[in-house]
Amino acid sequence: MKGTIIKLDNVWKIYQMGEVKVEALRGLSLEIKKGEFVAIMGPSGSGKSTAVNMIGCLDVPTKGHIYLDQHDISKLSESDLAQIRGRKIGFIFQQFNLINTLTALENVALPMLFQNTDRETRLKTANRLLELVELGERMNHKPNELSGGQQQRVAIARSLSNDPEVVLADEPTGNLDSKTGEIVINFLGKLNKEGKTIIMVTHDANVARHAQRIEHLKDGRVVKRS
Amino acid sequence: MLRDIASYVLKNMKVRLTRSILTIISILIGIMAIFALVSFGQGLSSYVNQVGQEAGADKLIAQPRGFGPPGTSSTPLTKDDLDFIKKTNDISEATGLVVQQAEVSLDEDKPGKWVFVMGMSTIPSEQRLIDESFGGIGILTGRNLKSGDKNKAVIGYNYQFPDKIFPKELNLGDKVFINDVEFRIIGFYEEIGNSGDDSNVYLTIDDAEELFDVKDEYGFVYIRAEKGANPSEVAARLEEKLRKEKGQNEGEETFFIQTFEQLLETFGTILLVLNAVLVIIAGISVLVAAVNIMNTMYTAVLERTKEIGVMKSIGARNSTILFMFFMESGIIGLIGGSIGILLGYGLAKLGGFFAASAGFALLKPAFPWWLIAGSLLFSFFVGAASGYFPARAASKLKPVDALRYE
Repeated sequence: MKGTIIKLDNVWKIYQMGEVKVEALRGLSLEIKKGEFVAIMGPSGSGKSTAVNMIGCLDVPTKGHIYLDQHDISKLSESDLAQIRGRKIGFIFQQFNLINTLTALENVALPMLFQNTDRETRLKTANRLLELVELGERMNHKPNELSGGQQQRVAIARSLSNDPEVVLADEPTGNLDSKTGEIVINFLGKLNKEGKTIIMVTHDANVARHAQRIEHLKDGRVVKRS
Repeated sequence: MLRDIASYVLKNMKVRLTRSILTIISILIGIMAIFALVSFGQGLSSYVNQVGQEAGADKLIAQPRGFGPPGTSSTPLTKDDLDFIKKTNDISEATGLVVQQAEVSLDEDKPGKWVFVMGMSTIPSEQRLIDESFGGIGILTGRNLKSGDKNKAVIGYNYQFPDKIFPKELNLGDKVFINDVEFRIIGFYEEIGNSGDDSNVYLTIDDAEELFDVKDEYGFVYIRAEKGANPSEVAARLEEKLRKEKGQNEGEETFFIQTFEQLLETFGTILLVLNAVLVIIAGISVLVAAVNIMNTMYTAVLERTKEIGVMKSIGARNSTILFMFFMESGIIGLIGGSIGILLGYGLAKLGGFFAASAGFALLKPAFPWWLIAGSLLFSFFVGAASGYFPARAASKLKPVDALRYE
């Protein structure tokens, strides 16, 4: 398992929807190595979102094990999960999900606040990250004063603020036009070259081809690797 | 961390400005009312204590038992009773006061005002006993009644001012008619602090007895205990002796004897109970405000469900989310409380001013430091407590569900 950052081992997720049991994941197994750029593709209903939630430690499996950095996280409490998420995983969402009342700088600094980083370090790091995504000029703007592409770049900067091992991007270009989407994907590629592990969920084959490896999901398990 | 969370909370409050202001107003009203009322209660207790000290611990008061205004009982204390009291052990002196209600007017034909008219002793030491019993007042201008005075009156503080009792103010040497008999004003009393006592008229006991056609009947007997005697023991002993002297059974006395401390306590207790009732009513408005804060906070949690999901996904612990919402409702309480205290202070000052100009100088608000600190703490606590359940609901949201919430 040397070099493995995330491993899903026969993971099942079963939701009880009233009378019906929905099996969102049916024995999903997946291994992602440090420094990889992996895309997870699949049609809607394939269990993509549930898989992202598992990888991102947002949810725990009904059955099976998830190892993050060789630690089994399937049995952790919610608060411990939150701590691990904050430290080891950076999230990028389809809808950017910035906090509207905070400026770009404050948004980027927020994950560090939850890790009790001191204020000075927070502001310095957030500053540097916004420069990195070429938004140094707009750091005191609120999300609604930024374009979609700019908001997603703020989100990228935010995902990096605790220097996580993994960046998890859930349809990062889903709400962007193709040109802006391209810029965002290029940023992810650049991060990968600098050594970050990137996991990206998408239904867009054009976006997925930027990854080194594509895992195709259907009916809650991997059906093809390419 | 605290500073950043506080800043986040304030930003959220600013975004929902109208709602924040309305919620703050709801708590402000209750805190304002409680603060003002308690400040009056405080002022009152310290007044009672102060008067209690000034009146001294050596005085007792005997009154007829019965219904109706003080001093108007059908079985008044008599000259025999007074003489008996004077002769009793441990009593250094005693004086009787004739108390009647009478119409006082400025013109013989015009209708006047109904006030209490007191017939008092002309012996200076007995007059001092009466003065001390009224809270340590004395003659403000002019002179007190003396032996040989005929148709002379000393009158209360309030007569000096226009529109308090009569449209025009009265001066030394002016004439007044009491039950159509002419009297001349020879002195004014100092302020006692309530409009009833400050409207009293004092005559010599002989004039009063002639005017009201009574003889040797007293509404009050003021008594001074010997130095060193315990007043409440003296009161109990005196009551027993006087009862036997009058041949009455225990529990069927036509009179009662209290120490001044007991009298003031009774008086103070009644007012403080009244004050407490008002505070409880104001407390209900705080309760309503608490429900309102809770409602506001539940709405905030609902509106920010997705935001909560985002924060959790980027590493916020349940306790952090709990703390954030807890702080928000606490800050609402604290702001409401601070403004409430300021307005309550203004209200109490204004109320005190009007009470004083209406002749109730004893209704003077007091603002001890603990009242201010306690009100602030209380308002923060009410806010935080009302925010507890919404905050807990927010902290318990599952990140996956919260993120999906639109």
